[in-house]
Amino acid sequence: MVKRLPGAVIGSLLSGLLLCVTAAAAVSGEPQPQRVRHGLVALYDFSEAEGTVVRDRSGVEPSLDLVIERPDSVRWLGTGLQVEASAVILSAEPAERMIDAIKRSQGLTIEAWVTPANAEQSGPARIVSLSKNPSERNVTLGQDQDAFDVRLRAESTDRNGNPSTASRRNLAVPQLTHVAFTRIADGTTQLFVDGELAAAGEAAGSLASWDTSHRLSLANEVTGDRPFLGTLHLAAIYDRPLSPEDVQQNFAAGSVAFNPPPTPAERNAIAFSEQIAPLFAKHCIECHDPAIHEGGLDLSRGSAALRGGESGAVITPGSAATSLLWESVASDEMPKGRAPLSPSEKAALLEWIDGGAAWPTDVIDPVIYRHSNRAGEVWVQRLTVPEYIATVKAAVGVEIAAEARQRLPADLRADGFSNTAYNLGVDLKHVEAFSQLAEIIVGRMDVPAFASRFSNSRSLSTDNTMREHVAKMGLWLLRGPLDEREINAYCGIATTVSSAGGDFEQAMRFILEAMLQSPRFVYRIENHRGSGEPRHLSQFELASRLSYILWGGPPDEQLLEAAERNQLRGQAALEAQVARMLKDPRAVERSLQFVEEWLNLDRMAHLKPDGSRFPQWNASLAADMREETRRFFEEVVWSENRPLADLINAPLTFATPQLAAHYGLVPEGDGFQRYELPVGSGRRGILSQGSVLTIGGDDASMVSRGLFVLHDLLRGTVNAPPPCVNTTPPPTKAGLSQRGLAEVRIANQQCGVCHARFEPLAFGLEKFDGIGASQSQDEHGNALRDDGEVLFPGEAEPVAYRSSEELMNLLAASERVQESLTWKVVQFALGRPLVAADAEKLKEVHRVSQENGGTYASLMTAIVLSDLVQKTATEKAE
Amino acid sequence: MKSRPVSRRPVSRRTMLRGLGSVTIGLPFLEEMHLSNAAAAEEAAVPVRAFNIFFGLGIPAPLQQEGFAGVLEPLKPLRDKLLVMRGVDHVRADEKGINAHYDGAAAAFTAAPPEGEAKAGGASIDQMVRRQWYPGGLPPGMVPTLVGGTFFRRSRVCRYVHSFNPDGTVAATMQEKPRDLFERVFGTVATAGDAADDNAQRLRRSVLDAVVDEYKYFTSVHSPLGATSKARVSEHLERIREYEQRAFALKGKVPEAPELPAGSRLLHGGAADPGGEGIDITLEELTAEWRLMAELYALAVTTDRTRFGSLTFLAAGERIRLKGDYAYEGRTVFAFDDAGQRKRSGSGGCSHEWWHDFDEKKSNEQLRAHAHLKLREVAYFLSLLDTPDALDPNGKTILDNALITISTESGDGRHNDVKRELSGVFHAITGAGGRFKTGQLLDVQAEGLDVYNTMLATMGVTQRLGPGNRPLTPVESIIA
Repeated sequence: MVKRLPGAVIGSLLSGLLLCVTAAAAVSGEPQPQRVRHGLVALYDFSEAEGTVVRDRSGVEPSLDLVIERPDSVRWLGTGLQVEASAVILSAEPAERMIDAIKRSQGLTIEAWVTPANAEQSGPARIVSLSKNPSERNVTLGQDQDAFDVRLRAESTDRNGNPSTASRRNLAVPQLTHVAFTRIADGTTQLFVDGELAAAGEAAGSLASWDTSHRLSLANEVTGDRPFLGTLHLAAIYDRPLSPEDVQQNFAAGSVAFNPPPTPAERNAIAFSEQIAPLFAKHCIECHDPAIHEGGLDLSRGSAALRGGESGAVITPGSAATSLLWESVASDEMPKGRAPLSPSEKAALLEWIDGGAAWPTDVIDPVIYRHSNRAGEVWVQRLTVPEYIATVKAAVGVEIAAEARQRLPADLRADGFSNTAYNLGVDLKHVEAFSQLAEIIVGRMDVPAFASRFSNSRSLSTDNTMREHVAKMGLWLLRGPLDEREINAYCGIATTVSSAGGDFEQAMRFILEAMLQSPRFVYRIENHRGSGEPRHLSQFELASRLSYILWGGPPDEQLLEAAERNQLRGQAALEAQVARMLKDPRAVERSLQFVEEWLNLDRMAHLKPDGSRFPQWNASLAADMREETRRFFEEVVWSENRPLADLINAPLTFATPQLAAHYGLVPEGDGFQRYELPVGSGRRGILSQGSVLTIGGDDASMVSRGLFVLHDLLRGTVNAPPPCVNTTPPPTKAGLSQRGLAEVRIANQQCGVCHARFEPLAFGLEKFDGIGASQSQDEHGNALRDDGEVLFPGEAEPVAYRSSEELMNLLAASERVQESLTWKVVQFALGRPLVAADAEKLKEVHRVSQENGGTYASLMTAIVLSDLVQKTATEKAE
Repeated sequence: MKSRPVSRRPVSRRTMLRGLGSVTIGLPFLEEMHLSNAAAAEEAAVPVRAFNIFFGLGIPAPLQQEGFAGVLEPLKPLRDKLLVMRGVDHVRADEKGINAHYDGAAAAFTAAPPEGEAKAGGASIDQMVRRQWYPGGLPPGMVPTLVGGTFFRRSRVCRYVHSFNPDGTVAATMQEKPRDLFERVFGTVATAGDAADDNAQRLRRSVLDAVVDEYKYFTSVHSPLGATSKARVSEHLERIREYEQRAFALKGKVPEAPELPAGSRLLHGGAADPGGEGIDITLEELTAEWRLMAELYALAVTTDRTRFGSLTFLAAGERIRLKGDYAYEGRTVFAFDDAGQRKRSGSGGCSHEWWHDFDEKKSNEQLRAHAHLKLREVAYFLSLLDTPDALDPNGKTILDNALITISTESGDGRHNDVKRELSGVFHAITGAGGRFKTGQLLDVQAEGLDVYNTMLATMGVTQRLGPGNRPLTPVESIIA
């Protein structure tokens, strides 16, 4: 028996389409609906067919295999394990990781496909149990006569897990049955039988009292005195509550888990995505792209690569030996003038060609492989200085900005942003500052009033009230429930204080100080352990991601409450949360942090152009430029809710009289005023603002400005110049403007390969001098131009423009530029450089966002709903 | 009264070498240490000292009647230096609504009920003596009051702290890690003048300890973090340790003091007290740390770094699930396995329950074994003050000269009769330089308050414990 298909039951649950698929699967043997995997912490499918070990097939390491202690009592069926007499199937070790994971999430699912031997066994007869003995447990799924019964230990239940959640009668009968029990963090429990809700109950309060020393047992109590007789077909445990839809999906997937291994062709395609595309991006595409296509060969597109170049085909699928590409790489003839491929890269290339040279991607975009060496690394995020300030403010109501900025070392930029997790290191000064700041913060708090938010108790006793008090306060300050170990640790401070003669208030002060320095406050801790596959975040982890991404601060009460109730799931609920959060002023502030970081506006405070060339420059003009960009961004993104691409060409800006005059505009009033930029002024969008134009330095360098456009708007890549090249540009002179110099470089055979990609992007900005003032001729009297051309990465031919305004319009309308804006925002949201594995998800985020107007709000919504935010990478245990 | 000068006391390497097997203490290079530089000014007087020694859970009154043939056996080698007092009651210390573990423990050495969770009802014996004899404070550089102990159950302070000021507040911060006690004794921050700062420093350090524990967890095998993130948090932990070193490093220590002992292997702080559920511990773990604590405390006394304070071996109502074979004088006394014998985990599997189950008609073998062990360990500490290293200028040992009061929390253990529970609470005292009788088991049948006040009067203390208007009923039978 593989599974039963009670048409009437499934029909009532699933759409007609799904029914057809399910029925067809049973008949034809075609793929069944997949089981839900996210949150899976243990899976037993009894496919061993022999032996005394039941393997954990969840993929989570270390796996929790079970040992059959009385092998004579069981019989392997191939699709299950028939328990004919009292047996114990038990993990050799405590199920510590599983229990830890569930304690962290406060939610779980226990699922089983079983065929009970009879409808009379009781005890309840243990089907799946995490317990110590018949009266002490974390959780047990059992059969009590003809009903299923689940006992779960929580604050509202006793050590034995009573009161239990019991199904209706007449459901535990001798036939193949699917049973699933879920518990969400707010304490609600549900029991589903064959996909249908069969009971709802409550096991309220924290799971902090769960004992990590319990082992996992099947078909009996650990002590061997509550046997279940019948057949076990599948048992699974999740560290999150499955939704009713998930339960139905698992029911529909049937009693036999279906995990087909990849075919050789699929393996070859995977090898391309994971090894070959990054290899081409790193070593080949520099010269073999549509624009340069050395030797007539373009290795960025599948069709072009297989077509070959001037020497004919270079790849013979299935035969590396006859492939010119392999020959030239194996002999180190290629890459020309660069280091040869490593032995492992060569081996991968050989295997890929011999395996059929699958090319599942349309185009290899080198930029997505730029950070491939960081793929798979999961860096915990320390709060940045602004995040720390916002977190303190939200958590305890204390404004600590001045002291924090003074004491904490500044976060350093990496990959364009200063919230890049891998770069958020910690040195002695941080530790000292966190300690001092904690003391200052608590010193400014009304501690008794704060403590009373969580409990009216002022008891120091750690046997009861203080523990509850600490647990509640910790949930708020540390953004998720505390486990017992943590409660013990913080309560320990209370006892130390009291044994030194201190009182309740002093104890609370010190506990607060400790919490404010703890890893769970200073870092955004997430669970990274698992099967190595991405997993869905727990509700509390997701609440934190939402708040730090949208607000740059901690979750508010509503978010934490939603997490506790398992309500941060489903598109509608999440969209509603995001919509609510985007209305909060913190969302605006966070977006301004983005633009500050992206354009590195901090730079403006330190800029010192040559006073003799730019006598009009002063600190307040620099500050005006910075503020101009902030106001412009806020206007376009928030006040007018325009597509993000309008940042490139919106014909408006904000300026003080001083800045307006600097730009050649007629000042319109005191302070910052909005200016409509007339056609022909050459100015529109951020590229024409002083904050960006100053990137070119005093000489308004075509190289620096062009690289900015290439990197930040076009996501283009160029390699560093060869080591022997003199990169100090010659000065301009009469008859030779910056543009003239650029054209010389582009014409040079050695330099032009790369410079052709970015310098023409800045031609349109030549009429803005080093500090952003308009000019029509340079200091030597050379007439300046603003026409040029754009070579979009991946394209063969450049597109010409006649003026800077046309350049801005061209860029704003470009899909590539719009995508790049998405990438930038996503990178800041995630706090890490984007890698190849993100590319498909980014595409989807971009598509959804564009469909909804391409605005900041639509983009943020798409980001937080995407797997980029909903899931996290995991690592297998070392 | 004029304070006494610090006595000169050589400390031999042997003093430090008696530590139990696995716990070792590094030793200074010198065969002898002279911890006082006031040697030249020494006079042959014996300083006044008073210490309170507490052990948890008590000895039911009927078992005390068995004398040294029963659970008191470990005190037998010291019997000539002790007065064992039976029939001392603390019934007056009963507080409605607070269990007798707490009442009884608070009453030990104060004869008063507790005042809330973190305060005793009045001064303890050692502090009364200290105030009388050193009204201007102890000589500079000395630890005015040293409070230490090996215990796990905490919740309320009187369960484990046993030195209190007259207003009921604790007289000094509890040092529960041997290292902390060591630093308190041999670090130069420990001066009489800056007690308040020292206290604040100590508390802030406990905050940092808790923070360190959190970072340790996130770098441990239990950490939810992946390898990369764990490395980052490890870095953070290293920086905290560096910070800890700089912020809290011993400012300097007494010249020639022994090396800092190894870090504790036992649970301390919050981790040691999981909400009263108890902890699993082996006999070896328990006694190794306790004996290190006892040795350090004794060293502080014999080197005259302190003259007053209290030492706790297991808290009142202590909850441990002890395991291990217990031998005494070459014979096996018992195989401890509380959880296994009670067939329970959590609080239900703790030795504490043997006291709840006490029944004088039964053998009570587990309770007996635990009580015997406690007295063996108390005797271990006392014996350290009775060695050639502990000789005072009068040729007697500190055990002879000091007032050492040994007591506990209860005279029974069953919670169904407060009067019975707080009656017959075990007490023993030393002779205090010939002031009290020794070498006897005495049925004093008196209130603890009267016994304590008699002791204070005999020690020359003019103030009295208890309600001001209560007339003293002297317990003459204890006076030499």
